[in-house]
Amino acid sequence: MDFILLCELAISGVLVGLMYGLIALGIVLIYKTSGLANLAQGALAMAGGYATVAFATLAGLPMWAAIIAALALMWLGGMLIERVMLRRMIGQPVIMVIMLTLGLEIFLRGVGPGLFGSAVKPLDLGIRQAPIIIGDILINRAYLIGGAISALLIIATIALFNSQIGVRMRAVSDDQTASWSVGIRVERMIAIAWGLAAALATAAGILWGSVQGVDWSLSLLLMKALAISILGGLDSIAGVLLAAVVVGVAESLATGILDPLVGGGTRDIVASVIILMTLLVRPYGLFGREHIERV
Amino acid sequence: MSPAPSLLALNNIEVIYDRVFLAVKGVSIDVQKGCLVTLLGANGAGKSTVLKAISGLLAPERGEVTRGDITFSGASMLALDPPTRVRRGIVQVLEGRRVFGHLTPTENLLAAVPRSRSRSHTKALIDRTFGWFPRLAERAKAKAGYLSGGEQQMLAIGRALMTEPELLLLDEPSLGLAPFLVDEIFDIIKRINKDGGVSVLLVEQNAAAALDVADTAYLIENGRVVMSGTAEVIRSNPDVAESYLGGHGKVDYLAVKHYRRRKRWLA
Repeated sequence: MDFILLCELAISGVLVGLMYGLIALGIVLIYKTSGLANLAQGALAMAGGYATVAFATLAGLPMWAAIIAALALMWLGGMLIERVMLRRMIGQPVIMVIMLTLGLEIFLRGVGPGLFGSAVKPLDLGIRQAPIIIGDILINRAYLIGGAISALLIIATIALFNSQIGVRMRAVSDDQTASWSVGIRVERMIAIAWGLAAALATAAGILWGSVQGVDWSLSLLLMKALAISILGGLDSIAGVLLAAVVVGVAESLATGILDPLVGGGTRDIVASVIILMTLLVRPYGLFGREHIERV
Repeated sequence: MSPAPSLLALNNIEVIYDRVFLAVKGVSIDVQKGCLVTLLGANGAGKSTVLKAISGLLAPERGEVTRGDITFSGASMLALDPPTRVRRGIVQVLEGRRVFGHLTPTENLLAAVPRSRSRSHTKALIDRTFGWFPRLAERAKAKAGYLSGGEQQMLAIGRALMTEPELLLLDEPSLGLAPFLVDEIFDIIKRINKDGGVSVLLVEQNAAAALDVADTAYLIENGRVVMSGTAEVIRSNPDVAESYLGGHGKVDYLAVKHYRRRKRWLA
């Protein structure tokens, strides 16, 4: 095991982790405004990937226009989910709403390949295959660009939550009735969160689609995203940033170091081990907000 | 009809929860512009329900106004949702304070500022609130959930004032506070009313404190208004003194008079 290989594994781990984090960001965003876990985030990423492919190949738009069109479409789709599904569930137990998002995940997972066929659709962003070479270290160009865009979007979301609309969104997650009582339109805030989450999922779907092609397996990224959001604390965006790096590096090192020893397959275990360990040892994650109880 | 136009008028309203439970039975209340009106009564008398009917917050509790009308500045409010009523100038401070616990006091205030306000106007509003409640300014960086009960109550009132209301609805602001804090809170309420020019409808169980600051009072029992008048008249009523103000005289309980509702057929 030499140092350069370790460095390469760590760097690609950070970048891949950030790209997972982009999906986790949507989960945290919705948890922060409406207090429920959105289990449809993986399928939204897949749907965003399919939408981009559809705009680019079926409608014949240039790639940049297809991306913008897909982002806009998915933004509307996210708002629509709030309008037609979640608004009916007001007053229902939280578990019912979470089951609803799980149902949506399974539904989209079936409908996407059903409409577009199960073959992997290539999504070419025009990123060159040749790696970037720094010293002796090779860095995958697609991961570098994807990781950088993800990090930027995560930081932009942190800024959003400190703006006035973000303060209102956090107020909604704290106390919906109190928010209503001071004139905050709770439903609109939740709709914006869903629109943003769907658009972020689309961005992730496009970045991942350019790496592995678009097919239903994009929705499996939900597992990694859940691991990141749980480790980060479900309602902390700074937590997403750190947890994304941790999960990415852990996965990358497991693949590089453990796989040769046990014969492969460790990559997909890492996320589930992290979910289990976090819940057992530190249920509110690294940066999760504490439950305030004054005595 | 009173000659001065009412800011808020409740006309024989009836509120039913869950389509079966009749909580408020034909209540009529007038709040004149600039007045401080208090609504007194025991636990479960229907005071909070009346406030929620005015602010529109009955819906999440599956309550609805089934009869009568609520008008504000002459326009009916019944069909409007709570955020729209806030924009018209009615804001309610909920029972139990309900501050945004994970936000700082400044963020609590910021969350309630309407979107249309300019940055400088927002800042002026926040400064004005911190002027009214200097204690909040000292703790502006702490999480609101860790403030003391009195500070949280001040924050809840300050947050409501950020919407620049014409009418402030207060639900039990003295709940769970030490007596000296109750005095402080009521002083502030009085100042908001007199100096700030905000009309106030105050719901209280602490009748003595409420009657000290109020101009007029309504007494509500079992969902009905049983007595109304100026604060002095209500305070000097022997039965009110006995039941609500911790009466000092000896009472012959065999001779206690039971109030019946004075029905107002026309308002």
